[in-house]
Amino acid sequence: MTKIFPLAFISDDVIPDWVSHLGKKKDVIAPHKSGIHSFSFEKVSNPNHVILNYNRTLSSIKKYFLPPKETLFSFSTHNHVMVSENVEPVNSIFLGVHNYDLQALFRLDHNFSTGNPESQYLTRRKDSIFIGIAYNPDKWHFSESVLQNGSPNNSNGFDLFVHPIDNGYILETLTENGKNLISDYPLEEYSDIIPPSPKQKHKINEMFVTFSHLFSKSWLSPVWEKYAEKCVGCGTCNLVCPTCFCFDVKDEMELDLVKGKRVRIQDGCMLRSFSEVAGGEIFRDQKAARMRHRLYRKFKYISDETNESWCVGCGRCSAYCTAGISIVDIVNDLILESNAKEI
Amino acid sequence: MKSFQSIPESLNPNLYIPTMGVIKQTRMLTEKEKWFEIQMPESHAFSYEPGQFVEVSLLGIGEAPISITSAMETPGLFEMAIRDVGMLTQQLHALNVGDKLGIRGPFGQGFDVQNFKGKDVLIVAGGIGLVPLRSLIHTIFKDRDSYGRLIILYGSKTSKDLLYRNELNMWESNPGIEFQVTVDQPSPDWNGIVGVITTLIPTVSLDVENTVAAIVGPPVMYKFVLLSLHTKGLPEKNMYLSLERRMKCGVGKCGHCQINQSLVCQDGPVYHYPELKKLQEAI
Repeated sequence: MTKIFPLAFISDDVIPDWVSHLGKKKDVIAPHKSGIHSFSFEKVSNPNHVILNYNRTLSSIKKYFLPPKETLFSFSTHNHVMVSENVEPVNSIFLGVHNYDLQALFRLDHNFSTGNPESQYLTRRKDSIFIGIAYNPDKWHFSESVLQNGSPNNSNGFDLFVHPIDNGYILETLTENGKNLISDYPLEEYSDIIPPSPKQKHKINEMFVTFSHLFSKSWLSPVWEKYAEKCVGCGTCNLVCPTCFCFDVKDEMELDLVKGKRVRIQDGCMLRSFSEVAGGEIFRDQKAARMRHRLYRKFKYISDETNESWCVGCGRCSAYCTAGISIVDIVNDLILESNAKEI
Repeated sequence: MKSFQSIPESLNPNLYIPTMGVIKQTRMLTEKEKWFEIQMPESHAFSYEPGQFVEVSLLGIGEAPISITSAMETPGLFEMAIRDVGMLTQQLHALNVGDKLGIRGPFGQGFDVQNFKGKDVLIVAGGIGLVPLRSLIHTIFKDRDSYGRLIILYGSKTSKDLLYRNELNMWESNPGIEFQVTVDQPSPDWNGIVGVITTLIPTVSLDVENTVAAIVGPPVMYKFVLLSLHTKGLPEKNMYLSLERRMKCGVGKCGHCQINQSLVCQDGPVYHYPELKKLQEAI
């Protein structure tokens, strides 16, 4: 039985008005239809275009805090003057975010706030408010296998959370920020319980807590080669992953050959050139080694330090894989192989 | 998992902006390697350890990690030796005294010289690996009495590729240094030892319990040198290696230099061999 929080009811037909109301406080960023089968987080200009019932967006909300390409600083080669790009807090209301995407953002927070904290990311992260939404898992979602609070209606970490029911939504208020956001909008109380979450259809056959042990035995597994044979090394999995943050740094000059910018561009460890050094040596030359590195980054390396999975189970890398490889299948194969060895 | 709690007050406004240093001196070491002495402005007069690196950049061209080749003496003054291998290094070679270049750093972990004191030091340098090791050698020179024997083994592909030739001659004639050099592909005028670096190791007698080895060279060299030192009975805990990776950011963010759970720009480039051994993709 799901625990009952202070709850309110919003009917379907009130949603556009509510979104307009939110838009008076801050920019609202929400899922929109993008192409035939795809969805995308966009700034709301027409509340009627917001789509709350979606399976996943191609890019996560990461793109607002860690843009795929951003200027680190501008410069002039004449006088060597270097000027930081003016970075502002995103300061928006993110509406309709799935649990896994907020969890992914928390992982990026870890990466950019520890060690050498990074001003660009941390500045953008200030002041935003997150309104989550429960979702109906499709054949690729598997958050419950990797997250401690991975169920599709888990509101952990959100300011507000909406649960779709017949004719509308239950609005769950979780933080002071959330409370302030709706304090001036009349809503009727909802006194029933939150319906149970729909079950995920796709799953890893063991829970995340066993992965550290599993991956400590899987380095030499033939499973890497099996999937590397199908993999085309395109890096789509890196591109769509909400917790991938690796980047390349490049200089771009203007036509006057005086002014320019140093930019960072999203990069991916599945690309062959990623580990190349001066002189041409490539330290992860084989696709199998690159695939192994990607999965160890999601399930082992940082996870051993934090006890958290760096894969949040969104299913993007599987859903968008150009070669039809599912990360769940890879891990399940490792489990099968590991169990076979132990018998 | 929760979000970060607060933004640190001492947050660096931009980790990626370099400080301009001025070239004080340059010298061609070989046809491919150029030596630079760099002066940083007073505001960034940093100190450094042997084995550390800096990110060197030319605005409009790019940035790359480069080893420091000098020993720390005056804060803000340091030396580099750069091989011309690509667009950036080619442009760096075109620079002269008085020109400016962007510097960030120093970054990473250098050699643990405190642990070298009172011990014999064996330096094994393959090719351009001599560049960061020269920083260690000069550090030892400065405080020579604190260390035991100083044994330097240097291997180069050809005699034309030998770096710091004047210094090599001085090391050869210095009674405080046991220096040997070998060349793999000798030209007709080469009178010295011929062969890869491992041909030198069996000829050296070592007090293995009291010797620390600092090994830097191309990836292919490490396994053979380690095997050779192992055969001599040098304990693994007495070995230090430095790794080359493509450190794009130097501050542990870009992911390029990651080897298993270790970031070379943070935990390396110099590793204590027992730690390095745990990294399966290291060499």
